[in-house]
Amino acid sequence: MDPTEVEFLAEKEIVKIIPNFSLDKIYLIGGDLGPFNPGLPVQVPVWLALNLKQRQKCRILPPQWMDVDKLEEVREMERKEDSFTPPPSPYYMELTKLLLNHASDNIPKADEIRTLVKDIWDTRIAKLRLSADSFISQQEAHAKLDNLTLMEINTTRSFLLGSLNCMFKLRSNMQPGTSTGKGPDY
Amino acid sequence: MFVTDIRKEFYDVVINQRVALLVATDIDALCACKVLQALFHCDQVQYTLVPVTGWQDLGTAFLEHKEQFRYFVLLNCGANVDLLEMLQPDDDSIFFICDTHRPVDVVNVYNDSQIKLLIKQDDDLGVPSYDDIFRDEDEEADDSGNESDGGSEPAGKRKRYDEGAVERRIERQRAKREWEARRREILFDYEQYEYHGTSASLVIFELAWVLTKDNKDMLWWAVIGLTDQWVHDKITHMKYVTDIATMQRHVSRHNHRNEDEDNSLSIDCMRISFEYDLRLTLYQHWSLFESICNSTYTSCNFKLWSLNGQKKLQEFLADMGLPLKQVRQKFHSMDMVIKENLREVIEESSNKYGMKDIRIQTFGVHFGFKNRFLASDVVHAAAALLESTEKDESAGDHSDHLSNLERLHLGIDLAKKKLIAIQQTVASCICTNLILSQGPFLYCYLMEGTPDVRLFSKPMALTLLCKYLLKAFVSSTRNKRCKLLPLVMAAPLDVEKGTVIVLGIPPDSDTSDKKNFFGRAFEKAAESTSSRSLHDHFDTSIIELKMEDRTKFLDALITLLS
Repeated sequence: MDPTEVEFLAEKEIVKIIPNFSLDKIYLIGGDLGPFNPGLPVQVPVWLALNLKQRQKCRILPPQWMDVDKLEEVREMERKEDSFTPPPSPYYMELTKLLLNHASDNIPKADEIRTLVKDIWDTRIAKLRLSADSFISQQEAHAKLDNLTLMEINTTRSFLLGSLNCMFKLRSNMQPGTSTGKGPDY
Repeated sequence: MFVTDIRKEFYDVVINQRVALLVATDIDALCACKVLQALFHCDQVQYTLVPVTGWQDLGTAFLEHKEQFRYFVLLNCGANVDLLEMLQPDDDSIFFICDTHRPVDVVNVYNDSQIKLLIKQDDDLGVPSYDDIFRDEDEEADDSGNESDGGSEPAGKRKRYDEGAVERRIERQRAKREWEARRREILFDYEQYEYHGTSASLVIFELAWVLTKDNKDMLWWAVIGLTDQWVHDKITHMKYVTDIATMQRHVSRHNHRNEDEDNSLSIDCMRISFEYDLRLTLYQHWSLFESICNSTYTSCNFKLWSLNGQKKLQEFLADMGLPLKQVRQKFHSMDMVIKENLREVIEESSNKYGMKDIRIQTFGVHFGFKNRFLASDVVHAAAALLESTEKDESAGDHSDHLSNLERLHLGIDLAKKKLIAIQQTVASCICTNLILSQGPFLYCYLMEGTPDVRLFSKPMALTLLCKYLLKAFVSSTRNKRCKLLPLVMAAPLDVEKGTVIVLGIPPDSDTSDKKNFFGRAFEKAAESTSSRSLHDHFDTSIIELKMEDRTKFLDALITLLS
């Protein structure tokens, strides 16, 4: 999967905007949106919010979790725990990038938020690498990780699967004929 | 006709149509175009953008697009000629003209159906009233009607009737001749001087403001358009200051909208600030020393082409306490201690040396930690890019010059080379006395072998050189009469075709109203000598001429103006 595909999926998330135009309810395949009245908040998917923002037709309100204090808490928890804590949002990385690139003037303290989200990301990716490393070194057959987001999974997916395949080939080649590979050396 | 409500009569009309945008190639038009493009993008209006460099270009572009488009928007072109006569459009083509060139042609003003001028009616226009110029032709029909009526009367009565009719006819003809003479005079006075009005980007920005779709990017482009008029000396200082005050209101409005104590804006957002900054061109992207040497104001005041001037400059620097090593370094690397109070220190010292106006009101922008630009920096960079003579330039993508940071830095480098070339040419012209007084005006011809002469085959660069040269000449000559003369400059344009580009600028004075009479003068001189000339530029004071016709053209000009 491409990171751009993951971002595309993230654009389906709902965000609140304040439009400056009026429009009746619109009926789309994915659901109904609206009605839009100037000055009244309305919930729309991120793709529509960004389009309207670029055409200067709305103001985007930051999501609940995009707040400096809340993100600091999440970061502290993430650093304390060994396993993954629930992320602020299943698409926190993509939403941060999209919203801060296009609507940073509507989001207070955008620079700090960017730094905090990057810190959270770095911590989680480090944990993911550690976990993958121990999985391989202990030659486990399966592992279960909770609270991973699609973007994080996507980062390691191709490399992890590819290298596991390689190692399987190496192991099966080193012990021809036997069905269970027992040697710990690789 | 003048458009009174720009939103209803222009924007609401074109919002559902396909529009052809014809844009002149100067910075102000470019900025106005960018603001208009941003508005069109917001409202998803389909448009075609065509840059035009002169009247011929405009004609060809119009012919190409007249089948597909009904609405044409012209930016910085087309107001000062009879557009309908020149283009011969169909009856349903409508033109929206936003142009700084004045005087606006009277036909354009009084045409109600096809020509809409996006110009404020009080923008220093002085248009003659309708009755003074146009006259109904019904009176002619009355005369001939009377005569034929008189023919059916019996002979005796007819004779008496005829006498009365003849007298009245003679009276009418005399009145008509008088009226025509007055009309010619009024038109001559009105069209004699060419000057510039409010910048086009300001007008389009105000449209965006009325639609409440204005944002900081548009504001910055409007500021650049206004600064372009000042850098190329197209408007008076008074007008510049007034327009800056208008812009300052918009800037404060935008700054207050977003800034807050707690919720400060991301550092990457663009911030525009009002600056009362030094009149040293590009000084923040260059070294202070280079900037002082190559800026018109300081160079002409110190007379830096002479040894005396160089000594004075050294004195000036010593007076301010700036070590030479620091001053020759890139500005960014100068000591922080020196940079902190630089503006005040320079202002104090320059007052002592007779430069009272070293500081000028302008705007600066910064985004990110690294990028800081003054409006005049961007104008010089964009002008250098637009008129670059280097071979690897791509012609079409002009709109990129203003927004792309890499291109901006490239433009600044080109602008530095251009300024150095101008400075050296001025120095050599003054030292070798290349400026000759021809009686009613000063004249200077750049020979073909002059270094960087290719740079000066472009109108904007040549204009800058001309203005600089005139200021330098005025400060270096002792002849009082020569100080009040205008300057005509000629430079080789195309060596194979044997053409020169000729440019005339009005005399240099602090209170000059920048009104240029050379447009009409060039036309008449070219006609009377039947020189092969091309009056293609939107500024009528710039023409192209064949090299062989140069001398007789000049003689005609001298006789015309004396």
